[in-house]
Amino acid sequence: MLHVENIETFALSVTVNGVEIKRTVPTHLRLLDFLRDDLRLTGAKEVCGEGECGACTVIMDGDTVNSCLILAVEAHGTVIQTIEGVTPVEGLTNLQQAFVDKHSVQCGYCIPGMILSSEQVHNDCENPDRETVKQGLAGNICRCTGYKKIIDAVEQDGDQ
Amino acid sequence: MKYFRPENQTQLFDLLSEFPPAQRTLLAGGTDLMSRYENGLSLPENLIDLKKLSDFMGITETDTEVEIGALTSIESLKKSSLIHDLFHALWQATSQFAGVQIRHRATLGGNICNASPAGDTLPALYTHEARLRLISYDGQRELAIGDFITGPGTTALQDSEILQAVILPKNSGFSTFYKLGLRQAMAISAVNFAAVGTINSHGFSQLKIAAGAVAPTVKYLNHFAEAAQNNSNTIDDIIDLVEHDISPIDDIRASANYRRRALKNVLIFTLTEMLS
Repeated sequence: MLHVENIETFALSVTVNGVEIKRTVPTHLRLLDFLRDDLRLTGAKEVCGEGECGACTVIMDGDTVNSCLILAVEAHGTVIQTIEGVTPVEGLTNLQQAFVDKHSVQCGYCIPGMILSSEQVHNDCENPDRETVKQGLAGNICRCTGYKKIIDAVEQDGDQ
Repeated sequence: MKYFRPENQTQLFDLLSEFPPAQRTLLAGGTDLMSRYENGLSLPENLIDLKKLSDFMGITETDTEVEIGALTSIESLKKSSLIHDLFHALWQATSQFAGVQIRHRATLGGNICNASPAGDTLPALYTHEARLRLISYDGQRELAIGDFITGPGTTALQDSEILQAVILPKNSGFSTFYKLGLRQAMAISAVNFAAVGTINSHGFSQLKIAAGAVAPTVKYLNHFAEAAQNNSNTIDDIIDLVEHDISPIDDIRASANYRRRALKNVLIFTLTEMLS
């Protein structure tokens, strides 16, 4: 949450998970706070608040970004996907199922970001090798798993 | 805080003339600025978001030069085969730059205008002899990157000016970049350097080396590079010449002595390997 002396507002129009949303928001509102507090999409998490950990990752116009480092107003006119929008109404994506199969999830706090970054790895590279997966997940921190099982899952999904 | 997103140069220059620098901040990718706001820096009265200026984006090529729009993202440079093939040191710097989420937002112009002593693209831009095109309402000028960056966080940019593009002259020969961070991913460089030149059976020629995080700005290691081109010298023998051009400090990432020793070690390692 950022703070300012003089609050100004902006008429924001943004597509989130396929739904066009129009809201008047304070200009200093971060995209992360807009998604979590205004839209109640709490899949994106705040941990470090400075772009180090990747827990707040969302997809903006097709690219993964840290929603803690973006103002909601900067998202004006863009298309955003959060973990809620990536997850099918029923069941899981192949990648999410691979995370289950490989026991890649412990506390789960980093996982929405991990899944979205893993989607990006697959979008950028059809059959990523282990090193490519590691580099693609370099912007996401997990403090439980030691990463091995997460990387195993992303590799397994690539093999399917 | 008022938010503006100019869509063309006329709108931009109107805003630059309306608000003096004390009243406004220019926002490119925001990856550095936003983390400073999170850490207590006051937000400006007026925020001018540059990302709708599409003629400040993209990579174009002529016979002799490549031009990179200031708002081109670090990830687009990493994905560019042109940058990979012609400006390999710059490409290496972009491929070791933060994580992919940051690279999608962070811009080359932002990395330059931040003027961090440790900025990862800077040593490569110095050795590639980058020129910067600064434009204002009534004209434009070009500056060498070494003349543009005047100190840590300070540049020669005038109040009415903006960085539009980075121009890199094409050159044959090798170019390489080395980053020493305290861990492999997401680290700010403790020391980094880039080198360009040619190698033949007699050793290096036209060697140019620039090092970062060892002085208030990136520094050319001219004394060392000149001696390294004399093939009667071994790299080990002349390595202490780097001291002529650097003045490292102690900070949270490394001590001055660590930086001095580490820069020498990575230079010896990299250049010796290239000669063998």
